[in-house]
Amino acid sequence: MLKRCVSAEGLKLKHSHIWILMMILPVISVLIGCGNFYMNQGVLRKEWYSLWSQVGLFYGEFFFPVLIAILCAMISRLEHFNKNWNLVMTAPVPVSSIYLAKLIVAGILLLFVQLFFFVLYFIGGIISGLALPLPAEVPGWLIRGWIAGVTISSLQLALSLKIRSFAVPVGIGLCSVFFGLGLYVLKVGMFFPHSLLTIGMGVLSQESMGSSGRQLLFISVNLLYLIIISLGAIHRMKKEDVTA
Amino acid sequence: MKEVILEFYKLRHKHLLLMITGFLGVEILWAFMAIAMSISRNPGAGGWEPLLLMLSSMNGLFIPILTAVCVSRICDMEHKGNTWKLLSSLSVKRSRLYFAKFVCAAGFLCYIFLLQTGAIWLFGSVNRFPQPVPFVLLFRSFMGSFLTSLVVAALQQWISLAVKNQAFALCLGMAGGFLGLAADLFPEGIRRIFIWSYFTGLSPVVQTYTGETMIFHIRKAVEILPLMGVAAVMGVLLFWLGNMHISYKDI
Repeated sequence: MLKRCVSAEGLKLKHSHIWILMMILPVISVLIGCGNFYMNQGVLRKEWYSLWSQVGLFYGEFFFPVLIAILCAMISRLEHFNKNWNLVMTAPVPVSSIYLAKLIVAGILLLFVQLFFFVLYFIGGIISGLALPLPAEVPGWLIRGWIAGVTISSLQLALSLKIRSFAVPVGIGLCSVFFGLGLYVLKVGMFFPHSLLTIGMGVLSQESMGSSGRQLLFISVNLLYLIIISLGAIHRMKKEDVTA
Repeated sequence: MKEVILEFYKLRHKHLLLMITGFLGVEILWAFMAIAMSISRNPGAGGWEPLLLMLSSMNGLFIPILTAVCVSRICDMEHKGNTWKLLSSLSVKRSRLYFAKFVCAAGFLCYIFLLQTGAIWLFGSVNRFPQPVPFVLLFRSFMGSFLTSLVVAALQQWISLAVKNQAFALCLGMAGGFLGLAADLFPEGIRRIFIWSYFTGLSPVVQTYTGETMIFHIRKAVEILPLMGVAAVMGVLLFWLGNMHISYKDI
């Protein structure tokens, strides 16, 4: 059943030009980051690490969380049109499958975004004249970024399914970015999804995930958030009447 | 006038004012925290100039996104309720409806900057800045930010009404926000193409470096006036193009 729901979600996103959005924001962040890196090579001397600090700062701290918010709002957008909620909720599928299918689709799309970002980072480094090899930490940053991205998706999906407006969940997502940044500065970043992304992708400090204990804590907190938010969202969908 | 009142009437249950106040609160809180930390480290660092400059830079990031959200909400209700067709069948020109939506957005933006100016005044008074309240600087800062946001709103309204899917309008707002944030990294010629860079461009305060010392410099009004003229022309052009496109577009 879940598989059918996932393919239905894929079908709904067909012709939505979602790929344009998925490409624009990483391209802008890499362009700005690479430009900044190129102009300040005298100060930024740690090659690939310095480049990551520049492109990652714009991408991981600001663009990626907002891109997640926009993607989730887009995935939930059709339901809010033409009384489609009535159709969706009367379909012979469990409510949990509807939510999980959306979350899976968001996860797949975010995986593509992360891979695309990596390709851009690699090309940006080569154009800037950096010699290989790439830092061994890059796969870890990307995977942890994706894990935190899925956690944020669960939250954004819950908001987008509840709020009919397209823009409001995106606005809340942006406010959460700054709230998360504040928590990161106060060194309690492990306890908020948006600051988990900052930590996981190593955008402000590339040494923050050194020990395996911290990695385990990172994954555990993400899983905990994912489960709690998903259960809450599914519970709400089951109990509350839809506004079609 | 009736059209404008009706636009506000349609938004009465949308909590738009509450949302933009909350959003602006995050920006103001962030800026004030940064300035307060700077003052606690170096008591001589406090003053109206750093505060105004800090908020101009933060406006470059926040206001494009806030404008995108605000304009998207004003325009999206016509897409959602399929009411643009209904409105077009009234004996009111579509250009007047377009103008009413713009005035409505401008009203919200004016509220944002009035609130921001009031908050700056309050923060400076509470922290007992040594200089008296610089009303002229506050007014010039208000005018610069408000003018830039109007141009951004003209662009956002065009996109929000032309493209049903609001993801594109919000994506543009997002990209604009980051161009506004990173604008000072670009050369002057390139920077001036992007309207989002005018939040810092029209700020009455700029910072310069003498060796390792940062100095805040107040620009004369005549230095900013040509740039304000460019922004105004861009705004009129964007509004006119958007109005023409939407008015003659087949629904």
